[in-house]
Amino acid sequence: MVLVAASKPSLEPPSRGARATIPTVTEEQPHPAAPGKEDSLVMTRRVVITGLGPVASTGIGVEAFAGALRAGTSGISQVRSFDTTGFRTHRAGEVHDFDASDHLHRLDPAGWGRSSQFAAAAARLAFTDAGADRAVTDPARLGVCMGTTSGESQVMEELTARWLAGGYPATPTGLARQVPAGRVAEAAALELGAAGPAVTVSTACSASNYALGYAFDAIGAGDVDFMVVGGADSVCRFAHAGFYRLGALAEDHCAPFDRDRTGVLTAEGGVGLYLESLDSARARDARIYCEVLGYGLTCDAQHPTAPDAASVARCMRLAHDDAGIKAEEVDFICAHGTATPANDAAEYTAVRDVFGTAPPPMSSIKSMLGHTMGAASGFSAVAGALAIHSGFLSPTINHHVTDPGMPGLDVVPNRARPAQPRVVQVNGFAFGGNNAISILGAAR
Amino acid sequence: MSTFTLGVSGWGVLAPMGTGADDFGAGLRSGREPAVDAGEVTAAPMPQERVFGLPGFTARDHLGRKGTSFLDRRTALALIAGAQALDDSELVVDDDNRERVGVVLGTSAGSLQSTSDYTRETFEADKPYLVNPILFPNTVLNCAAGQVAIRYGLRGPNTTVAGGATAMLSALRWAYVMMRRGRAEALLVGAVEELTPHQAWTSAALGTADGVPAGEGCAMFMIENAAAMRAAGRRPRAEIRAVELAHTTEGTDTADALAAVIRRVLDTAGPELTVDTVITCDAAGEAPALDRAVGRAAERIAVTPVAGDAPAAAGALQLAVLLAGASGHSRTALITACTPDGAVGAAVVTV
Repeated sequence: MVLVAASKPSLEPPSRGARATIPTVTEEQPHPAAPGKEDSLVMTRRVVITGLGPVASTGIGVEAFAGALRAGTSGISQVRSFDTTGFRTHRAGEVHDFDASDHLHRLDPAGWGRSSQFAAAAARLAFTDAGADRAVTDPARLGVCMGTTSGESQVMEELTARWLAGGYPATPTGLARQVPAGRVAEAAALELGAAGPAVTVSTACSASNYALGYAFDAIGAGDVDFMVVGGADSVCRFAHAGFYRLGALAEDHCAPFDRDRTGVLTAEGGVGLYLESLDSARARDARIYCEVLGYGLTCDAQHPTAPDAASVARCMRLAHDDAGIKAEEVDFICAHGTATPANDAAEYTAVRDVFGTAPPPMSSIKSMLGHTMGAASGFSAVAGALAIHSGFLSPTINHHVTDPGMPGLDVVPNRARPAQPRVVQVNGFAFGGNNAISILGAAR
Repeated sequence: MSTFTLGVSGWGVLAPMGTGADDFGAGLRSGREPAVDAGEVTAAPMPQERVFGLPGFTARDHLGRKGTSFLDRRTALALIAGAQALDDSELVVDDDNRERVGVVLGTSAGSLQSTSDYTRETFEADKPYLVNPILFPNTVLNCAAGQVAIRYGLRGPNTTVAGGATAMLSALRWAYVMMRRGRAEALLVGAVEELTPHQAWTSAALGTADGVPAGEGCAMFMIENAAAMRAAGRRPRAEIRAVELAHTTEGTDTADALAAVIRRVLDTAGPELTVDTVITCDAAGEAPALDRAVGRAAERIAVTPVAGDAPAAAGALQLAVLLAGASGHSRTALITACTPDGAVGAAVVTV
């Protein structure tokens, strides 16, 4: 593969025992951001975030979204996208005022499902926010990676309704076209005119962090120069029912890490982050929100839905090692924080294991947005980038009493807090035990 | 020139042409007709009388009674092909390395049946929320990869990529990016598609496959660092010399984008390689792209007569066809794929 090498590229393939292994927690690894280092075999470029594109229930576009984070605004409302008659809960985090055509320049939203529309709009917003229009001169150097949990869930529900009414032969061609989940990234690629790779990663609720990590590796190694990453999902009936039956759904509000938490609310949206090399950003004098320092992936391999604290802790350590930081350097954690008893307990246990008795502040934006599924860790990454760039910690709203089983935990209750974190950890966990954690840092 | 390449150390396959590498290879050589009567796969009405399905398939027959009653079809297929690949590879997964062995699985839309049936329950149950909580994880696209990890204790990076016909190439590229950076020692990489009435009718409604019957199948490959395998005295069954992805843009068509990505993948793989065989996904844009970027000297094999209309599985079967030695003399093969919306990919594989 062609390596764009700022330092000496390794001509030797990695072998076991050499640097092919992810270093264990006891091994020292120089900070990837340290200039002039020659230890890593392909990671030769630093990667930064220069554009943000949130399409959220609390705000569309970075300005509105950031304002809502600062204000601790809730995006939860009565469900409008499906009939909740007969359900016991009726609230979700829907993006009511989303009209894709307000945002799209190239893609005709008519042929695309809601999740793809979210992804394309978020990608466009991130691209514009980055001022990338003039920067991307070769479309082949621009790639897309978008995460999703359920792809076009509303399309599949509509198909099901048609089948119930008219049998399978009543399958409308227009709906059938919209089923493939791979279209989530393809929509964003077509909207931006990106001729590089367009990959949809469907690792459920940590998928945006996977996408962020993939871009970190791909840009770092010089496969591409620019990537728009993030995720998208749509509120749907079957997830509303399924989360309820798992005992994971709250009735009114989502209160992560609270003593009386009852669960999450389903939600939707799209999020885009524009990534490029630090050199590229500096050369065009771009505004840099933050640097991506590294990430980690683990799989619980234990249970389809129940989280495993040991595996989550291992993921944190892998992410720290990859970023070349120690745990005590983390200033703020954007939690997965679903407010289910099981998730929050496992997340806290892992944090205690890795950070000790005085962990950094850890808040959950799911308290405001609900669970935006494939977009969730992307929204958390936006909150992390804004924390570093704009100097505030987004709050955990709906907070009354911190779970007494979580001593030492500071959830940034109810109000945003002025602060200047230098390193932020973004947690993402998922069904299938798919843990993904990214580490963001102030660009130096 | 590639500086880092992926080796295949073992593989497994379930397809109408055969179950397991030996049977699959024998099926290919015999010219067996893989289509079966739709009634042998499902009692539901199907758009075609013949399908590329696995007749009488049940997870229990392959995996036993324990823990199989809630598996959907694509998850069962991935578990079985995954077991074959693990068994076929010399790599031993144990407590020393299981945190560094993971999964990358390609899909189109997960299990349409699981998602649709769950939705149907919300419409038909006495109360819309009276759905079965145990089946909820089946609605999620990454269910199969997660179950593979659970059953075989693979705690390394676990990824699902959605991309239909290009899902397998996306999975290989993902594996390449992860392993190049040392994020895993070995990855079980494959792609799966299940044949259900939901899938068959959705596919038929598109009318793009020229009446090709809907199909299903799965192939999984144990992927390791090729150079590390050789250093340990192990010979890769095949080597993924390069894999590249791209997308069409306004003003270009699939053939343009595919020709460009083929040129790039050939360049990356190295000029010393001469492609003797091309395995296509049988899409319209492939022939003109190949004419332009490769010429007509290489033999072209379409995967459709083996896979039917089964986009993600067909991608995995493209590699399986090569590994099974279907083309006999092939040393260097090019695999190409594209989606209806313009995602394209290509890989150079030597055997």
